[in-house]
Amino acid sequence: MTQVNHNQTILIVGNGQAAATAVHALRSHGFAGCIRVVGSEAHLAYERPPLSKAMLSDPDAGVPGLHIHSADFYQDARIDLMLQKTVTRIDAEHNMALLEDGQQLPYDYCLLATGGRARQLPDYPYGDPHIHYLRTADDALKLRQSLNASSRVAILGGGFLGMELASTTRALGASVDVIEAADSLLARNAPSVFSTWLVQRARLAGVTLHLGSRVHAAALQKTRESDAPVTLSLDNGCRIEADHLIVAVGLTPNTEVALRSGLAICMQTGGIQIDRHGRTSVPNVFAAGDCATRVDPETGERLRIESWQNANEQARIAAQAMLGQAPAAAAFPWFWTDQFDCNIQMLGATAAGLQFVQRGDIDANTAVPKFLLLGIEDGIPRYALAVNAGADLRALRPLLEKGIPIDPQAFGDVDLPVKQFAKKTTAAAI
Amino acid sequence: MAWVTIDNASELDNEESLGFEIDGHKLALHRLDDQFYVSDNICTHQYALLSEGFLEDGCIECPLHQAQFCLKTGKAMSAPATVGIKVYAVREEAGDVQVSFP
Repeated sequence: MTQVNHNQTILIVGNGQAAATAVHALRSHGFAGCIRVVGSEAHLAYERPPLSKAMLSDPDAGVPGLHIHSADFYQDARIDLMLQKTVTRIDAEHNMALLEDGQQLPYDYCLLATGGRARQLPDYPYGDPHIHYLRTADDALKLRQSLNASSRVAILGGGFLGMELASTTRALGASVDVIEAADSLLARNAPSVFSTWLVQRARLAGVTLHLGSRVHAAALQKTRESDAPVTLSLDNGCRIEADHLIVAVGLTPNTEVALRSGLAICMQTGGIQIDRHGRTSVPNVFAAGDCATRVDPETGERLRIESWQNANEQARIAAQAMLGQAPAAAAFPWFWTDQFDCNIQMLGATAAGLQFVQRGDIDANTAVPKFLLLGIEDGIPRYALAVNAGADLRALRPLLEKGIPIDPQAFGDVDLPVKQFAKKTTAAAI
Repeated sequence: MAWVTIDNASELDNEESLGFEIDGHKLALHRLDDQFYVSDNICTHQYALLSEGFLEDGCIECPLHQAQFCLKTGKAMSAPATVGIKVYAVREEAGDVQVSFP
């Protein structure tokens, strides 16, 4: 491992969650050289999770409240922030980044934290006043200004973002239709018993779900039959009239800079290929977050994870690797979503062949449902889902991290606190 | 400023927290490594009761999004929180646990 050279320049391309974490990690791990961040948005780096929630529901919420670091932090940490600037490509041979405006920026190490953008559908043009995509703070502000309690909202896509938006807009009083091509919600990411529960929960909140449905025809202007700016005809025969259509059909990783720079891209996942330390196919260029696909050195498995935690973890690891330090392993994958008055958290990823054991009542009708699901394989927990039971999930984390076998019956016993269950289970395994 | 006795404090198990109020102010009593700590009970990141969180390594961790706060100083130790919580002096007096408030 090389020693940190404080005369070096580290260039970060992009200014989202991963960039903000990298900046902080570089300084807190002792790097005193130049850190330069180039981002195309006008805002300081901000938290994205609230964009689909508080940013829409709280009329007083503003972007400054979402800033990951304050302006003072950037000044005190001597970060050279270049906002509203766009890197077009990097010249890896000469260690130089080229900007849209013709500027050239030299670097010793470069971190691509280019994130992703909302996947757009050609039928629904970005920029139409009645069509919304949600990725940036400005997207959220535009949507908030458009919504009121009498809005008719149609949401295309019943994934995490689509359902958070359904929850938030419904709570504002809007009438909400969600159109999802799959027969269930979050089918790939959560066990079916949870999917079923979420369907009930959303319907109880007054959201109309069209599952297993596709848009057959869309009219994006008022017609003779309808005064609604958006009319969707579904293949199940339903006709939805809406004031606003929100398209939430996934994310496209921003890999243009990497492609133009000749970096290896994973064809399956669409991300910039990185190793376990975040290194791309060019040794002094790293990538982290939504834009990056980690290739497992042992199994060859390729994983591009779109999560807040993954952006933080990959950024921290890349920062330490750039400084020649040995980074601690990435934290166990953790994800959360807040919807329909429930805080839902997951540890690990669900997979085929897991057997699910539950704790608490899986009941959509209670004001505050509380339950846990544990996905086990040969008695070993691999995946956990908690609804309004974050502290319990947290107590279970060591069992998943260490792969400690559990007693399903003891897990389901609600008279035994989860903390004690976890302790007993850990003690029994030693 | 006064020392206020916290009801039922002595029944609190190690590694547990208890929410309580003084003059409508939501506070949490934490017991970790057999030390008592009192902090604000609302996470600075988003509305959540820290008394429903997780105690480890000198920190209270929020149950919603895993933000950690130092029990001794109140400092925000991990994202997504950036703003710390207030912590209050605690003493044990004749079997009572008391907090100095405000």
